[in-house]
Amino acid sequence: MATLQLSGELKARIENLVRTGYPHETCGLLIGRQANGTVSVTEALAARNLNRERARDRFELDPQAFLDADRHARDTGQEVVGIWHSHPDHPARPSEIDRSLAWPGWSYVILSVSRDGIQDFRSWRLAGNRFEEEVIAP
Amino acid sequence: MSTVTIRIPMPLRNYTNGADEVKVQAATVGEALQFLGANHDGILSRVLSPEGELRQFVNVFVGSQNVRALGGLATPLAEGQVISIIPAVAGGATRARDVRLMQLKSVIPEVTPGEALAMQAGGAALVDVREQDEISQGSPPGAMRLGRGYLELRIEDAVPDFDRPVVTLCNGGVRSLFAAEDLRRLGYRKVFSMAGGFSRWKNEGLPIEIPPRLDAPTRERYSRHLLMPEVGEAGQMRLMQSRVLLIGAGGLGSPAAYYLAAAGVGTLGVVDHDVVDRSNLQRQILHTDARVGTSKVSSARQTLEALNPAVKVVGYEAHLESRNVEEIFSGFDLVVDGSDNFPTRYLVNDACVKLGLPNVHGSVYRFEGQVTVFWPKYSRQRGPCYRCLYPEPPPAEFAPSCAEAGVLGVLPGVIGLLQATEAVKILLGIGEPLVGRLLYFDGLRGAFTELALDRDPKCRYCGDNARFPGYVDYERFCANVAA
Repeated sequence: MATLQLSGELKARIENLVRTGYPHETCGLLIGRQANGTVSVTEALAARNLNRERARDRFELDPQAFLDADRHARDTGQEVVGIWHSHPDHPARPSEIDRSLAWPGWSYVILSVSRDGIQDFRSWRLAGNRFEEEVIAP
Repeated sequence: MSTVTIRIPMPLRNYTNGADEVKVQAATVGEALQFLGANHDGILSRVLSPEGELRQFVNVFVGSQNVRALGGLATPLAEGQVISIIPAVAGGATRARDVRLMQLKSVIPEVTPGEALAMQAGGAALVDVREQDEISQGSPPGAMRLGRGYLELRIEDAVPDFDRPVVTLCNGGVRSLFAAEDLRRLGYRKVFSMAGGFSRWKNEGLPIEIPPRLDAPTRERYSRHLLMPEVGEAGQMRLMQSRVLLIGAGGLGSPAAYYLAAAGVGTLGVVDHDVVDRSNLQRQILHTDARVGTSKVSSARQTLEALNPAVKVVGYEAHLESRNVEEIFSGFDLVVDGSDNFPTRYLVNDACVKLGLPNVHGSVYRFEGQVTVFWPKYSRQRGPCYRCLYPEPPPAEFAPSCAEAGVLGVLPGVIGLLQATEAVKILLGIGEPLVGRLLYFDGLRGAFTELALDRDPKCRYCGDNARFPGYVDYERFCANVAA
């Protein structure tokens, strides 16, 4: 099982973005390094959700945001290591849509959020054509 | 040829032995990707479709510009440029309804609003399944506004032909998919859903109309109707646009007309050549003691308009005859026959058969009465006409009139209101009309009996190969048999 290293500070930053965005789905990118089954996240960026029509239950990350993040990562000797997005009023496990659109080699952090705040915070990784959960460690 | 760098995102690096960049020589973006594919087996199919186009879930940037906004794969390259392959990142919470919608989209064909309009012009039924408050903001002209909740119950009356193409529409194109599936289950063979719904229809500048709405006093008057979804605003408006012809303003016509006026039937035609007699007042509740000696039509008009001024009463102070029957019947939706003699019943029947009108028939005798609907043209069931039952009138001694046999005064009230009930049902297209069934009421026993009425396939007027044989001399036709 892979491990996602995410500091409390970064976790709090993502949680804050997700809470603020509720009831819409929010999304963003994780930048860091990965080696030997461990992903170390150094930055968590927010990205625009291009899916305005169904922002409550869909996200479509702005490719320009990806390009910018990728460039920034490469410039600092890092890379894009994953994606985070929220599931408003829905469990923090990958949906069928997530699975069908997922790419291998990335961490998929999913937050369940309701009106009352963050309900769950988990990370997943595509293994073959199904998702396996990752351990989140500070 | 330029030497350019292709940046490989992490999900695709297992095709490049972990390399995050590959240098290639190419003149266009397409060439660069082909070169990449030639040297790194398997990567091309992740980026390009079998048809050689960019996959939907991949973006390719040259510098900081998306090639979709440039010249696509033909975008020319300059020396030293950087191509970035960017996996589209998307997802979302799948709800059960999304899984279901994906299934529906795979089985229900979708059409654009423009295509829907063309299909409607070609004879397809356009069915608006939105709620009343949405429809009041506008709807495609000529659309059938059946509502989603009662769609299955109403569609067969609106679209009796299961092979007629049906296009469902809602506001955004989702509810219409569910509706379309239900219609397929009912047996409709050519069902389509309009993608994008009414909002797209409107955005594309296609014609719309604002369906009329009831004003406040009207809503108040009919509030008990509006509470019932089977009537509702659309049904009430249908009643207000309906035209019912009453044959006779007597024992049966009085209660029927009174309640139909109360229900808001827009136009009530009344055919009666008689004047009010004091002996009528025991049961003919439209008339009053003060109006004895005045015409029944004008007395009926006074009473009905006093109850509901919005109702238009069209009087025919004439004897119904072969020469005037079609002129009087034309334009009415339905006939309530409350006549008390055979020549008129045959004439009413023959004209209704010829014109395809439902004939709500009632009759009373002392403590008994009966009611049925003669309507051979009814789309859901082929019922009989009056002549299927009685090809010839009975001898006079078997059919005495009220004047001869007497009648319990309240009895025509019961039967006339059953006729009114049938009339309202037929106008609204709800329930099961008494087609092919006769309801017999025995007032003394306090019992209803239902009798099945069969049509006669050889009937000269409504039979399988019948061609309308023409009107006859009804007085003589009835007198001959009676003699």
